[in-house]
Amino acid sequence: MNPLIFTTILMTVLLGTMIVMMSSHWLMIWIGFEMNLLAIIPILMKKYNPRTMEASTKYFLTQATASMLLMMAIIINLMHSGQWTIMKVFNPTASIIMTSALAMKLGLTPFHFWVPEVTQGISLTSGLILLTWQKLAPMSILYQISPSINLNILLTMAVLSILVGGWGGLNQTQLRKIMAYSSIAHMGWMTAVLAYNPTLTMLNMLIYIMMTLTMFMLFIHSSSTTTLSLSHTWNKTPLTTTLILITLLSMGGLPPLSGFMPKWMIIQELTKNSSIILPTLMAIMALLNLYFYMRLTYSTSLTMFPSTNNMKMKWQFETKRITLLPPLIVMSSLLLPLTPMLSILD
Amino acid sequence: MMTYIVFILSVIFVVSFVGFSSKPSPIYGGLVLIVSGGVGCGIIMNFGGSFLGLMVFLIYLGGMLVVFGYTTAMATEQYPEVWVSNTTVMGVFLLGLLMEVMLVLYVLKSEEVGVVFKFSGMGDWAIYDTGDSGVFSEEIMGVAALYSYGAWVVIVTGWSLFVGVLVILEVTRGD
Repeated sequence: MNPLIFTTILMTVLLGTMIVMMSSHWLMIWIGFEMNLLAIIPILMKKYNPRTMEASTKYFLTQATASMLLMMAIIINLMHSGQWTIMKVFNPTASIIMTSALAMKLGLTPFHFWVPEVTQGISLTSGLILLTWQKLAPMSILYQISPSINLNILLTMAVLSILVGGWGGLNQTQLRKIMAYSSIAHMGWMTAVLAYNPTLTMLNMLIYIMMTLTMFMLFIHSSSTTTLSLSHTWNKTPLTTTLILITLLSMGGLPPLSGFMPKWMIIQELTKNSSIILPTLMAIMALLNLYFYMRLTYSTSLTMFPSTNNMKMKWQFETKRITLLPPLIVMSSLLLPLTPMLSILD
Repeated sequence: MMTYIVFILSVIFVVSFVGFSSKPSPIYGGLVLIVSGGVGCGIIMNFGGSFLGLMVFLIYLGGMLVVFGYTTAMATEQYPEVWVSNTTVMGVFLLGLLMEVMLVLYVLKSEEVGVVFKFSGMGDWAIYDTGDSGVFSEEIMGVAALYSYGAWVVIVTGWSLFVGVLVILEVTRGD
């Protein structure tokens, strides 16, 4: 793509999310979402093959439907409260419709079906933008309307998302689909605590973005999109196998790595609010997630995965230099002692 | 009839929306969009917004729909779908019409209609001249406000439209 056009379109994606996060008028928020959606379509379609076009079309259709539902909720809110300022949504109908619309944008169950298919159809860098940056805008709106969200719907969607994210990722060998299901599960964790303490939602979002960025950059570094091709990294850059191990275990939520921090805080917050069964279920279902992360680490760093002799040398162009990778790896594994810092998110 | 003109126009509006969402071929969808655009213009005009209504005709129908019609004419097939050519399309259209007729009868018969909002029978559609808008027309003041206090909205929407064109060019360019 022409670099000037690409820069303009990328800046528009950023501008769209910024408008969503900074506006106080519902209409501007909707405009921000639409601008974001419109501008990310050519980024998803960077390569012109039928797979990317299909993925972009699916993404556009689901997100446009979600924007329409959001607009309807905004208008119902206008009719019942008479004002356009963003604050908690007073009418229960509008609140439910808005929660469903934002769940569609995030990829929460039962609206999760587009996430693996879209993530699989696009390139690794586009998938990176899709799974990290695109989650910021809907989550910021959820944060702002959190006092009025119907708790039953929210918790149902959260628990089902964790279940689907864990269970659905079990049968995958394609790395992008694995990351998509991991994203669904993490979104479930984030929305579970939204009604109790939205600061923890933001903490989880922060840690999740760091870990997902790290994983995607490690995949981009070794140009691998399948488990098999990831298992050849021991030959090319042996150091990244260890880093993949650490980052994946961090994503699975194991102490003493930073991925443990949001899960710990969320479970603590939920038990403080006298719900015991829910965090127990969530923790058990997070084990499903941990299982397929560990399967990846097993095939990548803990064993020499069986392959034919001519595939042992991984052929690729010169090593990509990803400047941000070392700090990200450090941050996504060693942040646990800094847990008290989460008070800055208030 | 003139008291209930907004209600009648709204019904025709919904019927034409049913007409194109039952998915005949795009050319016929565009035809029905013309009808719905004209009827929407009528609804706005009945509330005193003559400028905005004519804007609908000029920009929406005369600009965007014309371009849509030309592009569809270039991409159309030899025997385009009409509402009666395909059983599915006709079924959906008739179903939508049926729902609209039932809703209209419900509104006409009962005192209060509470689907998502509460409408008090026909009262909410009739136009009364109770507007306390004073000396100025509200609608022109709205347009003026868009260009004075709402300058940020103009910038954002203008940028969105510009990026929309860039995106369309980029997507259809291919390799």
